Amino acid sequence: MAQMQLRICHLYPELMNIYGDRGNVISMAKRCLWRDITAIVTDISLGEPIEPTDFDFFFIGGGQDREQILVSEDLSREKGQAIRQAVEEGAGLLSICGGYQLLGKYFLTYTGEDLPGVSLFDVKTVGGDARFIGNVAVECDLEGARGMLVGFENHSGRTRLGSGCRPLGKVLKGYGNNGEDGTEGCVYKAALGTYLHGSLLPKNPQLADWFILHALQRRYQLEELPKLDDSYENTAHEAALRLTLGFRSRISSFMPLSGK
Amino acid sequence: MRPQTLEEIASLLPGGCVLVSGTNGKTTTSNLLAGMLRAGGLQPVHNKVGANLITGITAALAQSSDRRGKPRGDIGLFEVDEATLPAAIKRLTPRLVILTNLFRDQLDRYGELESLGRKIEGGLQELGGDACILLNADDPLVASLGNESKAKKYYYGIEYEEVAEGGLRHAADSKNCRSCGEKLAFSVNFFGHMGKYSCPQCGLERPTVDFAATGIELKGATGSQVDVSTPQSSLRLALGLPGLYNVQNLLAALGGAELLGLETGHIEAGVEDYSTAFGRGERIPIRGRTLFLVLSKNPTGFNEVIRTLRAEGRDLAIIVALNDRIADGRDVSWIWDVDFEELAPLARFLIASGTRAPDMALRMKYAGLDTAKLQVEGDLKKALDKAIERSRDGETIYALTTYTATLDMRRLLTRMGVVADYWED
Repeated sequence: MAQMQLRICHLYPELMNIYGDRGNVISMAKRCLWRDITAIVTDISLGEPIEPTDFDFFFIGGGQDREQILVSEDLSREKGQAIRQAVEEGAGLLSICGGYQLLGKYFLTYTGEDLPGVSLFDVKTVGGDARFIGNVAVECDLEGARGMLVGFENHSGRTRLGSGCRPLGKVLKGYGNNGEDGTEGCVYKAALGTYLHGSLLPKNPQLADWFILHALQRRYQLEELPKLDDSYENTAHEAALRLTLGFRSRISSFMPLSGK
Repeated sequence: MRPQTLEEIASLLPGGCVLVSGTNGKTTTSNLLAGMLRAGGLQPVHNKVGANLITGITAALAQSSDRRGKPRGDIGLFEVDEATLPAAIKRLTPRLVILTNLFRDQLDRYGELESLGRKIEGGLQELGGDACILLNADDPLVASLGNESKAKKYYYGIEYEEVAEGGLRHAADSKNCRSCGEKLAFSVNFFGHMGKYSCPQCGLERPTVDFAATGIELKGATGSQVDVSTPQSSLRLALGLPGLYNVQNLLAALGGAELLGLETGHIEAGVEDYSTAFGRGERIPIRGRTLFLVLSKNPTGFNEVIRTLRAEGRDLAIIVALNDRIADGRDVSWIWDVDFEELAPLARFLIASGTRAPDMALRMKYAGLDTAKLQVEGDLKKALDKAIERSRDGETIYALTTYTATLDMRRLLTRMGVVADYWED
């Protein structure tokens, strides 16, 4: 069988990369490489068009105000629609913080800037005066990747979900979407939005593998991914969880990844 | 209306743009030049290490500009990938282009050196008569460029033959004359294909050098003492960077600074400032080894240290201690912005330590470090013991430590009686 291929689109890598977001792309690429799957990462930035069928997975990180304004304008053209179309057709997508906000309906910043969103996610974000900063632990409610997610959040936006998408999980420690309703992130088809940066995927490899498996299943016949030795990942995950929850968690970090 | 394009933002820089290109030495040269510009009271807008394609330059300009899109800097100083140089010249209309050298190390991307040379030549043709090109005279291919350009050409090079290598190495690039194809005759060879040369067939000669190193004393890993002669002055500089290639980088930066109109005092101050950046590190003798302790607290600092370690060779004994106390920042995500991919091939072993040792170890695994070379030991004392145990007599152990991890290490060394307690606050 010919070598499997995963085509990753890294959106605005130089503008939307705050707090080490690019670690997510490194994680996806390495976990493919270790399984002898060819990962092709294409950087797409301002003014560069995309073809929805060219990619299996999209990543967009967080950015500061000025970068977000530039990106919002760029996404409001055909590119935002192309991303929506790709997700409708089953492509995977991970968006973090500022990227997550821009894929919602709108982001009204605390300074009064009204940034229109792509409306991929049925979420609305309004800037707040205080920032939500700290370690986060989330009980992930995603079919095939249940278990705990660990990360770090740092945002002033308060995001509320509409009926068109569901939360990624329940906050056990931290603020999450808005600091009030206990939800964190959102899921629509194979597209995720979340406030967990801290390079989410390296320390939460079950989520990286969820994306890889979903993306590959669109183009290839396979039930599950070959297992990897995740001892370093698990150690870092457990350590972060202990640090966040303050006790040795008895909750199993990982549910076995399966096609069911 | 906010300026949108690279051209528009760049045109708002009062001091214009300088481009530094070539296979090796871009970063060192532009960092040295940046230090000289700052000493002269000019704030350069600088692209990040490795972000040397058009997108990286656009990002640097976008990030350094205010809400109206006006850059918060006086002069653009951009490292440019050599294949991108023609496009960058076209779009940025630089006042100065510095070309360090052309080696063969990325041929898979660029095709033959010769065709790369032709592309660069095409780019240089776009320059106007008021622009300058500063070329490395020691590199025959680089020195042959710019003949079709209206810009004024200047050259830098080594004029001190005592530092030459025995003979031209087998693998050296650019052995042939660019105008007639005949094999060049080298009377002196510094390293690689750098030297003094002429063509026995068509008579091509190495150009006369404007910015010359007339005396060099190499002092191993600690750096060099360099005598420099320029149209403006004669200088003796203490360069805190090892190797002859860094002497060339110094000449490139200093030539650039002089062409931009900086005074000699600013050039000296810039070199001194840069040389102390790595000199921040402390060398401490410990149980027959030397512990090289260097504070590395953010991506920029780490990248700078990693770059310098590359000059120390491979096979290194390394400790990286990552803490997440308040003074370090509770969020350790920034380690994914550090180019640890460049540190991984330098390590014989690497011990990840500090309060976030597992995160650090994970980063190294994804940076491509063979996990057989990777050890996790959160406790700094145990990490140091292990490093001493695994290293050889007389060897240097490189400890890259975040802010509070540096303090921890100093306290530890004081307790061990290795250093006097003047460190204790």
